[in-house]
Amino acid sequence: MKTSLHSKTSLLTPESSTEAISSKMKDVNPEVGSLQPRKRKGNTVSKATQNEKSVLESSNAQAPTKEKHKGLESVPIFTLITTYLSYLILILFAHIRDRMGKLFYPGQYALLRESDGYAPLISDFESLWIRRLYTRISDAFNRPITGVAGGHVTLLERTSKDHNKTFELTGKKTEVLNLASYNYLGFAQNTGYCADQVELSIKNLGLSHCASRAQGAQTKMILETEKLISEYLDVEDSILISMGYATNSSVIPLLVDKGCLIISDELNHSSLVSGSRLSGATITVFKHNDPSDLERVLRRYISEGQPRTHRPWRKILVVIEGLYSMEGEIGDLAGIVALKDKYKFYIFLDEAHSIGAMGKHGRGVCEFLGVDHKKVDMLMGTFTKSFGAVGGYIAGKKDLIDYLRLKSYSSVYGEVMPIPVMEQVASSLRLIMDIVPEHKGEGPKRIKQLEENSSYFMRKLREMGFLILGDQGSPVVPLLLFNPGKIPAFSHECLKRNIAVVVVSYPATPIITGRVRFCISASHTREDLDYALEQIDEIGDLLGLKLLK
Amino acid sequence: MRFQDRLFFISKSSLATVLISALPVLGSSDAGNHSENAKTHGFFSYGARFVVRYVKASYRDDPFRTFLELCLVLFIVWYVSKQKYKFNQVDLKLSEKDIEELIKEWKPEPIVPLMTTHEKEVFDNFPVIDSPTGTVLKLDNGKSVINFVSHDFLGLMNNANAKEKAVNTLRKYGVGPCGPPGFYGTLDVHMELEALISSFLKADATILYSQAMSVCVSVIPCFSKRGDIIVADDQVNFMLQQGILLSRSRVYWYKHNDMEDLKKVLEKIDQVESKKKGPIPRKFIVAEGLSMSTGNILKLDKIMELKKQFKYRLILDESLAIGAIGPRGAGTTDLFGISVKDVEILIGSLCLAFGGSGGFCCSSKQLIGHQRLSGAGYVFSAAMPAIMAITAADGIRRLETDSYALLNLLRRNIATLRSQLGRIKDIVIEGDIRSPQMHIRLTESAYKKCISSNLNSSNEQTWENEDHVLLNIVSHMRDNGILVSQCVYVKEHEHNIPRPSIRVLVSCTHTQQQLEKLSQSLEEAIKAIAK
Repeated sequence: MKTSLHSKTSLLTPESSTEAISSKMKDVNPEVGSLQPRKRKGNTVSKATQNEKSVLESSNAQAPTKEKHKGLESVPIFTLITTYLSYLILILFAHIRDRMGKLFYPGQYALLRESDGYAPLISDFESLWIRRLYTRISDAFNRPITGVAGGHVTLLERTSKDHNKTFELTGKKTEVLNLASYNYLGFAQNTGYCADQVELSIKNLGLSHCASRAQGAQTKMILETEKLISEYLDVEDSILISMGYATNSSVIPLLVDKGCLIISDELNHSSLVSGSRLSGATITVFKHNDPSDLERVLRRYISEGQPRTHRPWRKILVVIEGLYSMEGEIGDLAGIVALKDKYKFYIFLDEAHSIGAMGKHGRGVCEFLGVDHKKVDMLMGTFTKSFGAVGGYIAGKKDLIDYLRLKSYSSVYGEVMPIPVMEQVASSLRLIMDIVPEHKGEGPKRIKQLEENSSYFMRKLREMGFLILGDQGSPVVPLLLFNPGKIPAFSHECLKRNIAVVVVSYPATPIITGRVRFCISASHTREDLDYALEQIDEIGDLLGLKLLK
Repeated sequence: MRFQDRLFFISKSSLATVLISALPVLGSSDAGNHSENAKTHGFFSYGARFVVRYVKASYRDDPFRTFLELCLVLFIVWYVSKQKYKFNQVDLKLSEKDIEELIKEWKPEPIVPLMTTHEKEVFDNFPVIDSPTGTVLKLDNGKSVINFVSHDFLGLMNNANAKEKAVNTLRKYGVGPCGPPGFYGTLDVHMELEALISSFLKADATILYSQAMSVCVSVIPCFSKRGDIIVADDQVNFMLQQGILLSRSRVYWYKHNDMEDLKKVLEKIDQVESKKKGPIPRKFIVAEGLSMSTGNILKLDKIMELKKQFKYRLILDESLAIGAIGPRGAGTTDLFGISVKDVEILIGSLCLAFGGSGGFCCSSKQLIGHQRLSGAGYVFSAAMPAIMAITAADGIRRLETDSYALLNLLRRNIATLRSQLGRIKDIVIEGDIRSPQMHIRLTESAYKKCISSNLNSSNEQTWENEDHVLLNIVSHMRDNGILVSQCVYVKEHEHNIPRPSIRVLVSCTHTQQQLEKLSQSLEEAIKAIAK
């Protein structure tokens, strides 16, 4: 909350004063602070649960939530040392093995050497991490599945005879509890309203158009789905884009170019980074989720103008995410929106993970934080997560969206969204909006279920003494593992106990904070979660992960 | 402090040290009588004693001089510590008030510019389709039109068999896989499709990308990095251009499909590079099998020779070619009888001829493995929906089993349409005679006629005016039941914008009458527009 106090001193807007109140509340009750409430919504999330656990929490709740800002002081020094030491040993061994390997088995390293006047396609140094470290634990990634990635998922068992270089399917299938897929609202289904609607669409309309939107494949269905999205988000207009990654990487270059400035959160997703790079605009970053640092950057860059020429910027685009998927952290939208009127920048908000999953009606972080979504110029989101489809959208003013319809790379050069996918988007959206009379209440029920599930799960893990990142209300719950040896161990132990989890380490995270990321879904029952918690509790004891105990 | 500044600081301070150490030497003429017995001592003790003795002596002789020298030393210290400016950056010292004023004054441009009249015209001319996909479509104004805008060369779109399979898949897998391939998004159907593509193209290994657009943008930066060399055809499709841009490599362009020019460019690069020392950069030739923007077929045999001669690797985009040309329909490599394994990196698409969605890249096992960790579009994007993977697989299998019939039909239709269009005097058909994608332009005289009768304000033959004429023709044809589209580009971002053209896509499902109707309606439209 240090951050909001800063913004308050520089700007006395209504938003920041409410923040000041919430930051005071944090001092009184650490648990409330961990909610990062910023506005009314946060307080109501778990008022009921606060009292019963405040005794337990007050001793240790402060550290896990604000790990990013406070540094790692709450982590025992022993853990930090062993983590760095482990990486040191791993890298040392990697180099020794590489040297030895090149000496005794030069054939295996042919790809990394210049040969016959050709430069190696894969750089020796760059691939060291992959060859020597990732390969050791690669069985924890890319695990193949079959069927629906719902609350439970069927894994295809595989083995490796050459130390994870290649894998073979054994033909055995195991059903496991799925804490890995982004199936927040549980729309990954092969039965029910959505699946029925999709089947109807396939039968009536076909599968795909084999063309791009600008060159003859603009269908009535696209326009209708877009209208539905606009209605749902309460915006003037929106455009459907057939791929989530491309929504960012192909739209940003149309909004800004040379002579413009992009100010990006330092932890932004790769798609936003590649979109920014393609645009040709000047790019700078501000400290993760820190509006006061954004303000510092804005003041500096606006006053200095463009580099060398010192001409004023043509426009400034601030690119942020609603929910940071690796951190489970909710973006400080209120703080950033508060700066908007003064500094006249445009906001590009990536709601890939938060749309559908957060807020009372699932309208994303704006609703969750009580920020006026009209202040955000470009609302971007994807259908991969909460909606059980693929693709994305951009929502905003009508002239902006029309421009994108004409010019976005996706509409001009890309394929249009396949018909079954589009129908999945539309039908799940209708359920979330609760406008299907036969299924009244189903969408809101899912949203409520997700919120209950994720706050229950996060609370229980914190009570067990794990170091948990993430804000209350986030369906993404990262648990810090630190030591590199524990990363595959956690994954293996979970798999043994029939739970599928995602583990992430460097380079996706800072080197020290390797983590396991749980994605909670509305399709998890209380029994599922209790089972998972029980097993994670055991694993935590086994691997010594309860650092706050 | 940045490196350069630090360097500068070091050089400054060493200058000062030299000056300071030179002082005693300057004065040594006075105290020269001491220097002889110092030879036996070490340098430092000698220096220290020398300084002390020198100062003592000089103070005795001339206190004013000592004062002067002290001033000189102080001046040097002050001089060294004073200069704090940085290189490459003028540190503007602005007061808070100045900054506030600048912020107040600053006015951003609108987030997107207003559409020009021409852009508005193009935008308003997008048709809206209100019917199932297929050879005949219905527009939202109730008119039915014959579809010449889908890349459905083999007629695989909207067939009953594929739809039935899709429904079965839906009932087993749902729609979205809810995650990237790395995090439990890899389905068994993806692995099967990858194996099927490898066997169809006779490649080593294949990786699937969930969108065709993202393949080029992921694959090129994955291998070609800053400092590497890319030699590319100057008419490559837009996504290849973006991939090249994103890789930040050094780019050299050669004239579209001109192998002589390519050779010249390669020789020129060779000359420059051979003088350089150090490791060799990675060198790539980027080309398209069947060109999206011209419909020309790459001279693959010649390019294979050149790449071997100059030690380049080939990144070949076969998105449009696979499923359209070659005896088996397997693309340019098939047409020239060159093994796919000899092409280092091959890019293809599943959303065009095969009616699915997404794209793929074929390469050696190690390079595919590398992409599974470094290909941005693979790592960070959700996996392909199972339905679309099954549809694509179904399309490939249909082509494999029925290639002779399907491709013969397609070739017959291409030939028919070409001969019919050939009768129209006012048009030029660009592209190879084997290409199912045709680009139609008006002849210069026809353009002049059309522009002068359509645009009163200016008779200039600009890109926009040409496009405007074609747009009128397209909409005239649409009113007469033929759906074609003029090529749309993001003009300001294209490297080398092709001349405006009408794009006609032939499918094997088109009947002779439908093809005839196309050429008739085109002729009528030109007549009506030219008046």
